[in-house]
Amino acid sequence: MLPEGARLSFDVPNGRLLFGENDLDIWAEHLAWCYRVLGVLDGATIAVQDYGTSPLAFLGSSSLMPHLQSGVAERLHGRIVCLDASPERVALTPALADQVQIDALVVRAEVLGLLREVDERGGAHLLSRCPALIVAIDGDAPRVECGRTPRYLLNIESALLLAPECPRCHHFHLRHGVYRRAGDRVVNLLAPSAKSVRLAIAGRPRVGECPLGPEDCCVRLAGVGPDLKVLE
Amino acid sequence: MTAELAENRFDEVERWSAAELAAWQLERLRDVVDYARAEVPFYRDLWRRAGISGARLGSIADFESFPVVNKDILVRAGEDWTGSARGCVGFSTRGTSGEPLLLWSSLEDQQYGIRGLLRAFSWMGFRPGMTALLLSPAWHKLAAAEAHAIARLGGSIAYFWGSMGNDSIASFLRTVAAIRPELVSTTSPFLLSCVRYGEDHRIRLRDTFRGVRSIVAVGQPLTPGLRDFLRQRLGVGDVFEKAGCQEAGIGLDDCPSHTGPHIQEDTAYLEVVDATGRSVPPGERGTFVVTKFTVGSGSVVVRYSTGDVAGFLPGECPCGRVLRRLKMYGRPESSVVVGGRTITAYDVRLAVDEDADLVGRNLVLVRGGENRLTAAIEGAAINAPALEARLYERLQVPEVELVWLGDVRLAWTFRQVIERSELGVPQQRRA
Repeated sequence: MLPEGARLSFDVPNGRLLFGENDLDIWAEHLAWCYRVLGVLDGATIAVQDYGTSPLAFLGSSSLMPHLQSGVAERLHGRIVCLDASPERVALTPALADQVQIDALVVRAEVLGLLREVDERGGAHLLSRCPALIVAIDGDAPRVECGRTPRYLLNIESALLLAPECPRCHHFHLRHGVYRRAGDRVVNLLAPSAKSVRLAIAGRPRVGECPLGPEDCCVRLAGVGPDLKVLE
Repeated sequence: MTAELAENRFDEVERWSAAELAAWQLERLRDVVDYARAEVPFYRDLWRRAGISGARLGSIADFESFPVVNKDILVRAGEDWTGSARGCVGFSTRGTSGEPLLLWSSLEDQQYGIRGLLRAFSWMGFRPGMTALLLSPAWHKLAAAEAHAIARLGGSIAYFWGSMGNDSIASFLRTVAAIRPELVSTTSPFLLSCVRYGEDHRIRLRDTFRGVRSIVAVGQPLTPGLRDFLRQRLGVGDVFEKAGCQEAGIGLDDCPSHTGPHIQEDTAYLEVVDATGRSVPPGERGTFVVTKFTVGSGSVVVRYSTGDVAGFLPGECPCGRVLRRLKMYGRPESSVVVGGRTITAYDVRLAVDEDADLVGRNLVLVRGGENRLTAAIEGAAINAPALEARLYERLQVPEVELVWLGDVRLAWTFRQVIERSELGVPQQRRA
């Protein structure tokens, strides 16, 4: 039994996200915005190597999820390829990549090492030839050398915190109107079931300095990438 | 069942006569063939090479002369086989029998499948206001369709974190206990792995599953004994066997009579064919071939063989529904050929599970004996002569060899056949 008003429930690491009938579209719009900031173009084919209950996967398309009128694929006029993050599914990725031209590969950080291993073994070289490699990090990312500098997307499921690392200002954008920063704590303004989260913010947060999000709070995170620290 | 009773209880499709069904399906097949010929170069070329006339499809018998395709053929064809309206979501098959196949879909593409699921979930007692715990929507095309069906029935949906591996069992059980769903949809191997996990960790699964009325178990056929085993161990109202084919977006669903999964006849066109591609009659086994009814969005699937061993079940179901029943017995990776006969792990399990002392033990078939059926079964030998006699009688094989594995445990997975060389290293398959 779900709480009153909730129609969808996703158990995520350290939390549970609840959504009503009209709650998902704002998050699909936000994730599409994140991808645009990260350089994904309209019409792109985006392959998502993440668990199906991660927002990166379930916000992918209205055909994946009821109560979602327009998912990321529809908003970007592109396509989403669901790859899952279980080891047996990661092993299939090189063979699937032979069947479609992938424009952006979004990989959950914890399976990046395994993907690199099967990618090299299979000779697909997907990680190096894919036009955009986006690594979704949540504070527990292993150190993996993937032969190029990926773009990072902060994805902390329990906080429903989706923040892209901006290619212009090289800070993570805490999007205005979606998140509020209070000291080192980030509060989700739109998802009541999301927890607030403390980030190890390095240096001075900046507002009004990046043209890709003039009102956003842009932060640098201590140990961004493999050493990113999320405090809770 | 009287016509009046049927009219009150069943929807139109569940009451169709054979003639009405054939007429409706012929129209859908005509649409599919016309679309594929116009829009999908792969099929146009394939059919031209096979000498298929370009005229409008005359009959279902004519359709059965179209060439059968399989996964390897489609993988080699790349994106050429998917058509111009390709859909916006790509799903992967599991890759259990070779390379995975990428399937394109969309919400429009799933409409027929969702319609079948609305019917199936109603059979299983799902009602508005209830909650269903479902598989990840991105994991399987049918799982995505299930979510839409539950929402349209006025239900709520819960998802657990993780995937279908053993490392996700704890997460799954936590969510079941916390949410208390009325319906759970998952795979048979995962569910059986949960039972074992519960035993190993002394978890009272009947408490965990309290309130669950129905479990839908997909991916592996259940023997009656194994279904009862699950029902009793989990303390749930009922366990429904489901089969399916995400290439065509069709599900085959148990009704409460449990005489074999019914075909959702308005979802896809199903055939069971022999080696020449011709239909075999009910009661006989052949290869499962499917044609998807939706056109214009998503991959176009015409006379696609999954490789599954299947058979239409003869006779009528006591539930009164006219929807035919079809049993999927197993895939090539869960079958061996002995004495020229294809034997599936399900066939052996059916004989094993007749003995109440053996129900719930996992088993695998061992490849390699041309005239000998070898089955490796967990635990110590129990009533072995009687079991051997049942296997000889039912399967008509020249020789039966039973290997009792003692305390070696087998993981519940989709793979149910091992090589003989693996028998010497059983620890590799410990759960």
